[in-house]
Amino acid sequence: MESFVYNIISKARNKWIVTLIVIFSMLGAILMIPSKLVLAKMLPGKSANTFTIYIDTATNASIQETKKVTTCVQNYMMHEKEVLNMGINLGQGAPLDYAGLVKGSAFKNMKNQAEIVINLTDKHEREEPSYLMVHRIRPEIQAECGEIVPHTSIRFTEMPSGPPTLATIVIELFGKDDRLLRNTITRVADILNETEGLVDVDIMQDDLYTKYNLVPDKEKIIRAGLSVDQVNQITYLAFKGTAVAVKNTRDQQDQIPIFLRLSDETRMLARSSTDALRAKLSSLRLINREGLMIPLSEVISVEGIRSSPSIFRKNLKNYVAVTAECDMVSQVYPLLEARETMIEKLADEFNVTKVTGINTYMFDLNLVDKQTGAQMLLRWDGEMKVSLDTFRDLGGAFIAALVLMFLLIVVYYKSFALSGIVLIGSFLSIIGVIIGHWITDKIQLIVLETNFFLTATSLIGFISLMGISARSSLLLIDFTKSLIEEGMEKKRAIAVATATRAKPIMLTAVAIILGSLLLATDPIFGGLGVALIFGSMAATLVSLFFIPILMDNTNAMMPSDYKHPLSESKGYVIKAKGKGRKHWCVLVDNVKDSFRNKEEK
Amino acid sequence: MKPYKIKNIAGHLATIFLANPLTPILAFAIILLGYVSLEMMPREEDPQIQVSGGSVMVSIPGATPKEIENVIIKPLERRIREIKGVQHVYGTAMNNAGILNIQYYIGEDRESSNLKLYDKVMQHLDKLPKGTLPPLVKPFDIDIDIPILTVAFYKNSEKKLDNVKLYKTIREIQQDINALDNVSKTTLKGVKKPQFNVFIDLQKLSAYHISLGEVAKAIRSISSNAPEIDTTSATGQLTVFGIKNAIEDIDDLKNLIVAQYLGSPIYLKSLANIEYSYDVQNFQSVLLTYQKKDTQSTKVKFVEAGDQITLTVSKLKGTNAVDIAQSALDELAKNAAVFKEQGVGYIITRNYGDRANEAVNELVHHLVITIFIIAAILIPFLGWRESLVVTIAVPMILALTLFIAYQTGQTINRITLFAFLLSLGLIVDDAIIVIENIHRRMHLPESQGLSFSEIIVQATDEIGPSTNVATIAIMLTMIPMAFVGGMMGQFMTPIPLNVPVALAVSLFVAYVFAPYLAKKLIKFDEPSTEKKDSEHKKGSA
Repeated sequence: MESFVYNIISKARNKWIVTLIVIFSMLGAILMIPSKLVLAKMLPGKSANTFTIYIDTATNASIQETKKVTTCVQNYMMHEKEVLNMGINLGQGAPLDYAGLVKGSAFKNMKNQAEIVINLTDKHEREEPSYLMVHRIRPEIQAECGEIVPHTSIRFTEMPSGPPTLATIVIELFGKDDRLLRNTITRVADILNETEGLVDVDIMQDDLYTKYNLVPDKEKIIRAGLSVDQVNQITYLAFKGTAVAVKNTRDQQDQIPIFLRLSDETRMLARSSTDALRAKLSSLRLINREGLMIPLSEVISVEGIRSSPSIFRKNLKNYVAVTAECDMVSQVYPLLEARETMIEKLADEFNVTKVTGINTYMFDLNLVDKQTGAQMLLRWDGEMKVSLDTFRDLGGAFIAALVLMFLLIVVYYKSFALSGIVLIGSFLSIIGVIIGHWITDKIQLIVLETNFFLTATSLIGFISLMGISARSSLLLIDFTKSLIEEGMEKKRAIAVATATRAKPIMLTAVAIILGSLLLATDPIFGGLGVALIFGSMAATLVSLFFIPILMDNTNAMMPSDYKHPLSESKGYVIKAKGKGRKHWCVLVDNVKDSFRNKEEK
Repeated sequence: MKPYKIKNIAGHLATIFLANPLTPILAFAIILLGYVSLEMMPREEDPQIQVSGGSVMVSIPGATPKEIENVIIKPLERRIREIKGVQHVYGTAMNNAGILNIQYYIGEDRESSNLKLYDKVMQHLDKLPKGTLPPLVKPFDIDIDIPILTVAFYKNSEKKLDNVKLYKTIREIQQDINALDNVSKTTLKGVKKPQFNVFIDLQKLSAYHISLGEVAKAIRSISSNAPEIDTTSATGQLTVFGIKNAIEDIDDLKNLIVAQYLGSPIYLKSLANIEYSYDVQNFQSVLLTYQKKDTQSTKVKFVEAGDQITLTVSKLKGTNAVDIAQSALDELAKNAAVFKEQGVGYIITRNYGDRANEAVNELVHHLVITIFIIAAILIPFLGWRESLVVTIAVPMILALTLFIAYQTGQTINRITLFAFLLSLGLIVDDAIIVIENIHRRMHLPESQGLSFSEIIVQATDEIGPSTNVATIAIMLTMIPMAFVGGMMGQFMTPIPLNVPVALAVSLFVAYVFAPYLAKKLIKFDEPSTEKKDSEHKKGSA
């Protein structure tokens, strides 16, 4: 070990080789991210014992129609032997969970909404992870049950492994013209539907349908001795019904209402049309002040109109939104693909421009209608935005960590050069982090057939690695300095220090690697584990072979009263056996070396 | 040889505790505190995320979305924007009503956010248009709103049980469960409430020449309740009398005279179908389908149990999900006889307590495994005695960190334990470095003639400065993570909270207990008589 390190630092050529290896692996590793060899995502999926199916039918669907869809889904799920039970919530959201909290589950109270909670057998005894099961059944259920009632959307919500978001991809379209918004969002949704990897595309807006207006004829009402208020009340009472009185009870916690309505047989319309409604109204009579019965149809007229859809606003601006989920893929790449398609396809109607400036809304598009000049903003939100925010914050935290560490070491050594060495050494662990993710991704693809992503936790792992590899460099520098102070020649001191410190450095690295092994198997913290394992491997290699070169090249190592020496290189010239080989060979050699030492003792 | 001068705090700490008889007692106390903390700390699956927000609902019957947008949503959202800390305001203008959903920045204090929202809406009550019903302000509350336990009650097929009876039984159970400690809110989903339904036949109505309004008036006129009246008699005695409610049961309703037709009374029962049943106008329902366990055949068999009532149980903030879920389940088990008699079956459809416990236990298990793996791998490098020192040091560090976390009001959840797993690789380092240096110094020729205690102190002191700086460097890299914003930042908070603490503790343990343990456990051949002493004490340590 000692001679090996000495050999590296005593020859300029060897120094260059090691430096080049480091630079190339650094560049190679960093290039893996844009070249999609390593995929980035905020949080991966995790296998859970439960998932929820959200069902929305057409805005004017009845509860019976919604029930048809839920029954269809229920019948499909009854073939799955891993399903323990299902709770079908009609016309309301399921008991709130983390996902439901942000997905607006608590606000559901319409006849066209339903949620089905599916409980599965325990994940430890089940072979198929829940996300694979969802992946498998999603297209089948959507094909089988999606067409029963028009405008049905069936979405699958899995337990989020981290903090929940409204949806993986949310596109918000801001503008002033409601009709334009409605038309454009449909086109955007179509583009998302065509994008590979995106599923559960859902436009968050009401469908248009025909409804009926009863127009009271004021003159007739007054002449008949009735009032508009009376007409309103009786119509409501007849068809919708109301509790006209309550009765208190002794043995129950609620009052008992007395509910009045027309009987089902006489209340229901033959079909949904103007004529049927008018016919029904003619048999409903009102009594006037003189006690005469007047058919309702006498004083009102019926007209069919378009429904007025709900208007959605966000931060004081009108908007519509479309949501989509990613099916087992990172959201980054479908997003970029869909965005390119949008720029291309929407160009026929709009002047599409990208929003300039760097912020976490950097994917936004400005749309200007070519004919009317109406402006719209197409904003990307959802998990992507949260990821970008998190990565930005973590990046900030990382820079802050770098600065703090740099200052601390400057205070300790009173030298900028040495601080720089420690920082460079720490930073180079990123090679291991990225390559580690690439390797794990490949392994996981073979074993589990799912991708392994670079996530926010990987970044946390990287930040903590900074400190860990700084520790190795610090120990090395400290030891070398004390050896030089004792009078040892610089290169020799570096080599001796590296050889002596190699053992604790490797031991701590081994401890971290083993300590993170179980971490690496976790869905959320897998990234952290992998970052720590491969990062500390890289950090160890860097501190044992690259830091000595840096130490050798600086004068800050020497005591303050040091005068430049006559450089002499003693003849420890063993052919550098590891120089051309790959890193892991060197590592193997190192381990052998340390065992040999042990035997000698 | 000149006497060694201790330069660093590491050496001082080692000297103080190396010969102190209280050191092992302190070590035991720390381990014990850690264990107690692990058992006592509230367990949850995911850490609490401080989400503040709420919704304001204003309704004007008969208004179109466009009208709602202009008269309700627009003025109200401008007001809401005046509140500091509001991140997004979502407005929805529907037919008859407008809803504003207000989302604060993650991490805004919930109580004051709720207050500010309520305050703002109330201040502008007078500006709301005429015909508006009073606005409803509903803050959402993540602790209370997310139930930790849901139970589905269904009707067992054997017994005849209607929805109303089921509701009555469950309502009583709900009251009992709500009375348990730390249960904050219980709700029932899918309930069918009892109700007298009067379904009027339109044809008969026309035939008898009666209007719907008359029927409503007739029912209303007899169903009023009056308070009891007390009066004094001539002799000064108090006499109390009350007017009995005219509607006592369904027959009273049936025999209600609605009108006179050609001199004869018309009863309600001749116009309408009257029943004592559940609220038919409520379209919301919850259905249950469950798999029937059949040990004989492998065929999948499902039972459609029809209408169910879901009982949800939430807990107070910072309380132990595991305990609460368990006590609720015990309460249900107590009522098993009642359920059986009435034909009520129940299935636990969610138990976060169970999941929290499982997650925590699994991770504790992982921690233990990892400690042993590390210990095992150290044996060939350092020898088993040295490795044993590290193995004892690690649980002490974790125990002390856990105790500190408990004292600072944290809960034990997945992320806390991940922080521990993450710090595991870091905290063994300090102990390893100290032990490795002691180990190395023992075999150096310079150590000849020194006592084992002197070697230990010197070895600890030697690596003190660089270990201090390195550990502080790692702590510094972790601290900025506390300032990450958003949901993710909140979610990760246990990491920047606990890892630096664990590191600081690991320094302390490495300087205080590692040298002590090294002295007691590691064999050192020295000419002095101390050796026998240490051999003797080893059994007790």
